[in-house]
Amino acid sequence: MKRRSFIKDLIAGAVATTVLNSASVEAAFAPQMGQRYLRPPGSLPEKEFEERCIRCGQCGEVCPNRCIEYFNVENGVDSFNTPYITPRSKACILCMKCGDVCPTGAIKPLQRTAEDIIGFVRMGKARVEKALCLSYQGKTCGVCYRACPLQDVAIKVQLLEQPVVLEACVGCGLCERSCIQLPQAIKIVPDHIRAVS
Amino acid sequence: MTENIKPFFLWRHLNKIRWLVLSLVFFMLIFLPFAHVYQTYVASFSYDLLDPSEKQLYNFMEMITSPFINDPALDLDAIKGNTWSGNFFGYKISDPLAVVGQISASLTIYWPFVITGLIPIVLTIIFGRFFCGWICPATFLYELNTNLSLSLQRIGIKAGKKHFDRRLKYVVLTVGLIVSALTGAVLVSMIYPPAIIGREIYFAIALGGFGAGLLFFILTLLFDLLVARRGFCRYVCPGGALYSLLGHFRIFRIKRIVENCNDCAKCNAVCEFGLDPLRDNFGQECNNCTACIAVCPTDALTFNIKIKDEENQGPGHLGRAYLKNNQ
Repeated sequence: MKRRSFIKDLIAGAVATTVLNSASVEAAFAPQMGQRYLRPPGSLPEKEFEERCIRCGQCGEVCPNRCIEYFNVENGVDSFNTPYITPRSKACILCMKCGDVCPTGAIKPLQRTAEDIIGFVRMGKARVEKALCLSYQGKTCGVCYRACPLQDVAIKVQLLEQPVVLEACVGCGLCERSCIQLPQAIKIVPDHIRAVS
Repeated sequence: MTENIKPFFLWRHLNKIRWLVLSLVFFMLIFLPFAHVYQTYVASFSYDLLDPSEKQLYNFMEMITSPFINDPALDLDAIKGNTWSGNFFGYKISDPLAVVGQISASLTIYWPFVITGLIPIVLTIIFGRFFCGWICPATFLYELNTNLSLSLQRIGIKAGKKHFDRRLKYVVLTVGLIVSALTGAVLVSMIYPPAIIGREIYFAIALGGFGAGLLFFILTLLFDLLVARRGFCRYVCPGGALYSLLGHFRIFRIKRIVENCNDCAKCNAVCEFGLDPLRDNFGQECNNCTACIAVCPTDALTFNIKIKDEENQGPGHLGRAYLKNNQ
């Protein structure tokens, strides 16, 4: 190989890797809507939440279930160190302590009563995948119904324990946490994703 | 003679008390996440299901907290948070930079949150940049880092001698607030070491690993060690800039008693912020850390209640320059 062509190849390779790398860097910093996460109960809508939250970490520090985790840069720089909940790994038990402790009102302070929770908590909404759900496949299960903190208000069961999600579902994720199917037959669709689609 | 001008004896020992306070704050930042983990174990009634190491933690925390509380799941909630924003027995206290950053991010004022920043703002107007010297958990590490750089110098590595313009940090504060307003996220919290340390210690203890903030903090430590001594606090920190502005007319100031001074310049050497106590040049950046009072061999530095520094009082009356001129 001639020296000139070798240098050309070298430069072309360097340019190609730089372009590829910058593309992957951009992908790393862009919000990935494929990631499904919930904000703590009583949070403001997504955009307002990011404006209000000062990233003090007190909501996680007061959570008795330790379900609140914090983003690094994987969800974009805007939500760096903001709290989120992954319902499959650990779901919210709606104790409402994080709202009490939040200094900025990014998580609204709410009473732990059914009226407050049904009225103001908007984390998401459960959705049943009938093709996966055991009860819809002829076996009786009903685990999600029994895990729900708002039984017969947010979820009800039909014949053979077939679950039906009602309007009052707040999206705490306890049904998704408890679902015995893999992949889960009942999943929470977060409010910020529902608002987009 | 001027034998009667002596500073109040306690001022000399304030530096030790300051270190005690700094250590206490740092200890609390480590203790609170452990207390939180212990609380979650208690709340889930899961003692029998814990790992042996988790059981050890449970037993230890029970041993040290049980004399003070009845119900760990509820009573340990009394103190939560970190120096960025905390909860003390129901009273919320937040950093003024958090208040300013949040206002600029959302461009609206949420009054309950502004009220939480009121006590620190009033204290800063009275005592100046005292947070930086007395409470900030980053100061605890930065001052140890300064000692490390001194030992590096002892073995011959000359580093950390660069000087920049002190006004750089006001630029950082302004740009940080503008970027916060543009992106709609409190981005000043990403470059503010006390907020980073509070979060990262919690992440490491309760969530099982440090986050990206630790990398930034290590970079600031290296900057201090290799480029400029206490450089981050002096030239970059946005919180320090805000406190300096608030403390411009502080009432509690350090003052040189010119009759006792012998121009030894130990105060200038010990000043972490590179100020000039020897020529009465404290300015708004002084954080009242009292290191200069503690080091002064002739008791020539004391506190003064006044909203302006003294004009340059000239060479000290025990110094060679003054004695030669007044013989």
